Amino acid sequence: MDRWVHPAIFFFIGSLLLPFVKGKAKKFLILLIPVLSIIDVAIMQAGTYGSYQFLNINIVVGRVDKLSLVFAWVFVIMAFLGALYALHVKEDGHHVAGSFYIGSSLGAIFAGDYLTLFIFWEIMAFSSVFLVWYRKERRSIEAGFRYLLVHVFGGLLFFAGMMLYYFKTGNLVFDRIFPDNAGIAEYFILAGFSLNAAVLPLHAWLPDAYPEATVEGAVFMCAFTTKTAVYVLARGFPGFEILAILGTAMTVYGVFYAVIENDMRRVLAYHIISQVGYMVAGVGIGTELALNGACAHAFAHILYKALLFMGAGAVLFMAGTAKMSQLGGLYKYMPLTMIFYVVGAISISGFPLFSGFVSKSMIVASAHEKGRLMLMSWMNLAGIGTFLSVGLKVTYFTFFGKEAEIKPKEPPKNMLWAMGLTSALCFIIGVYPKVLYDLLPFPVEYHPYTLPHLSEMLQILSFTGLVFFLLVKKLQPEAKLNLDMDWFYRKGTRVFMKLDERVISVIDSFWGELYRIVGLNLLFKNARISYGFDRKVIDGVVDGSAATVRGVGSIVRRLQTGKIQAYIGLSLFLFFLILWFVLRGM
Amino acid sequence: MDFVKYIDLLRKNMKTLKKVLIAYLVAVVIFDVVLPRDEAHAHYWIDKVFAFWTVFSIVGCFLLIKIGKGIAHLFLSKDEDYYG
Repeated sequence: MDRWVHPAIFFFIGSLLLPFVKGKAKKFLILLIPVLSIIDVAIMQAGTYGSYQFLNINIVVGRVDKLSLVFAWVFVIMAFLGALYALHVKEDGHHVAGSFYIGSSLGAIFAGDYLTLFIFWEIMAFSSVFLVWYRKERRSIEAGFRYLLVHVFGGLLFFAGMMLYYFKTGNLVFDRIFPDNAGIAEYFILAGFSLNAAVLPLHAWLPDAYPEATVEGAVFMCAFTTKTAVYVLARGFPGFEILAILGTAMTVYGVFYAVIENDMRRVLAYHIISQVGYMVAGVGIGTELALNGACAHAFAHILYKALLFMGAGAVLFMAGTAKMSQLGGLYKYMPLTMIFYVVGAISISGFPLFSGFVSKSMIVASAHEKGRLMLMSWMNLAGIGTFLSVGLKVTYFTFFGKEAEIKPKEPPKNMLWAMGLTSALCFIIGVYPKVLYDLLPFPVEYHPYTLPHLSEMLQILSFTGLVFFLLVKKLQPEAKLNLDMDWFYRKGTRVFMKLDERVISVIDSFWGELYRIVGLNLLFKNARISYGFDRKVIDGVVDGSAATVRGVGSIVRRLQTGKIQAYIGLSLFLFFLILWFVLRGM
Repeated sequence: MDFVKYIDLLRKNMKTLKKVLIAYLVAVVIFDVVLPRDEAHAHYWIDKVFAFWTVFSIVGCFLLIKIGKGIAHLFLSKDEDYYG
C-alpha cells in the first residue's frame, strides 16, 4: 500500500462528529474510532510518508518504522480499552479531549521532524488537561492549571532547544543524537523530553495531576504522555549515561513515595515514575537489548498500569473515595474488580506468566549484561518496592484489611469488560511473549523463562511478601499529604505573590501616580501639537487613506464578536484547513 | 459468589495457610541452591552467591519500609490541607 492514512485523523475528525449523534450510535462511534485506527496500524507499511518542504524545513508527518510502530500498536489498543472503559461518560467534551489527546500522541510518535513533533506535543498537553478539569472539583481545577503551566515550561525548553538546533544544523530532522556531539541545543531538547517522561527532578506534575483527573481520564493519561516521552528519548537519545543514572534513581524514588502514600491513585501515579524510570534507564544503557526492553516495557506497562488505574478508578467511582485510610474489606463487594486489580498488580510486579516478567527483566538483564551491577541492584530494589506498594499494600488495605463502612457495588459492565480484556492481554503477553517480541525494533535473542531468572524473581517476590506481613502494621495508610518537588513552585509562587503585593505593586502605583502627574500633562501638550500637524499636513498629502482604514476596520470589527465560542470555532476551522492542506500532499 | 467463599475459607484457616507459605518460602530458597549455574549466565559474583536475592529482598524491603515511613514522619508528611 503506497498511500498512508495517519491514524490521528480518526481521532480528530471522529471525535468532532460525536456531538451530532445520540444514544447507541454515539457509543458505537466512540468504539469505532479506535477500531478503525487499529485496522489502520495493522495494514501500515514501513516507510516515510507526508514529507514536504515548508519554509525550507523538511517536514515529515509519517515516519513509520519498527520503533514508531510498536508504540503505535499499544497506543491504538489502549485507545480502544480506554474508550470502552469511558463508554458511560455523558459529556461529549470528555471524549473529544481524550480523542485529541490520543490523536496527538500518535502524531508525535510518527513525526519525523522537531516542528511536527512540537505541534503535536503541545496539543497533547492542552487536550489532556481537560481530562483533569472535567472532574469539576476545585482541587482538580487547580491541579490542572499547575499541570498546564509545568507542561508549557517543558514545551518552552523543547522549543528553545529546537531553535538552537536549527541555528546549529540548519534543519529540524529528528533523529538519533550521539552523546559526543550533543551541545546546549540537544540538552535543552533532552530536558523538554525528560519533563514529559517525569525524569527527576522534573516529575512532580505527574503525582500532582493524575490523581485529580476524572476516573476515566486518568486511565488515558497514565498511558500516553510519559510513554510518548519514552519514545522520543529512545529515538533521539539512546546511550546518554545521564538517562541511565536518572532513570535508575526514578525507579527507587517512585516506589519510595508509593510506599508512604495514602490515595490509591496517587500510589499508582508515583509508581508510574518508577516504571518509566526502568524505560529511561533502558534508553540510557542504550544497547539493543536495553532499547528492546524499554519498548517492551512501555508496551506492557501501558496495559497493566491502565488496568490498575481502571481498578482504582472503579473503586473511586463506586465508593466515592480512593483513600485507603477510608477503605477496606472490599473483596466481598467488588470481587471482580479485585481480581482484575490483582492481575494488574502481579503483572507490574513481574510474576512469572504475566507481562511484567517478560518486559522489565529485559532492562534489568541489559544492565547485568553490561556489568552495571549497581544499576541492576537498584532496579531490583525498586522491584521489591513495586510489589510492596502496588501489589501488597494497596491490595491489602483496599480489598482486605479492616472492613470499612463503605460497601460499594461492582462498577458498570463496560468498565468490567475493559478491565477483563486488559487482564487477558497482560496474561497473553506473559505466557506468549513472542507476540510482543516480534514487534520490537531489534531482533530478540532474549529468553525470560530461564531457571536463574525464575529463581531471582521468586526470591524477590516471596520474601518481599514475608517482610510485608511481618511489618504490615507499620504500613497502615495515613491521611496525610507528602511533600515533593512541587513544594518549590506551590510555596514559591506564594512568596512571589507576597513580593508582588508588598513591593512590586507599591512601586507600580507610585510610578503610575508619577506618570499621571508628569507624563500625562506632557503627553496632552504633545498630542495637541501633533494633531494639528496630522490634520493639516499628513491627511492633506495622503488623501483618502484614513477613510479606507476606517472602512476595513468596520469589517474586522464585525468578525470580532468577542464570543469565545466563535474564536474557538474559527481556530478549529483554520486548524482543519491547514490539516487538509498538509494531508492532501500525501 | 464462590470466589468470596474461598477467600473466607482461607481467612478462617490462617494457621494452616501460614504453614503452607513458610514451606513455600523454604522451597524457593532450596530451588536457588540446587539450581544449575552455568558459566554463560553466571558472570559476576552476584550470580554465584546462593540465595543472594533472598537476603537482598529481606534487607531491601525492611529498609524501604523503615526509611520510607521514617522520612515521612520526620518531615515529608503534612496535613491534607497543607497547600490550602
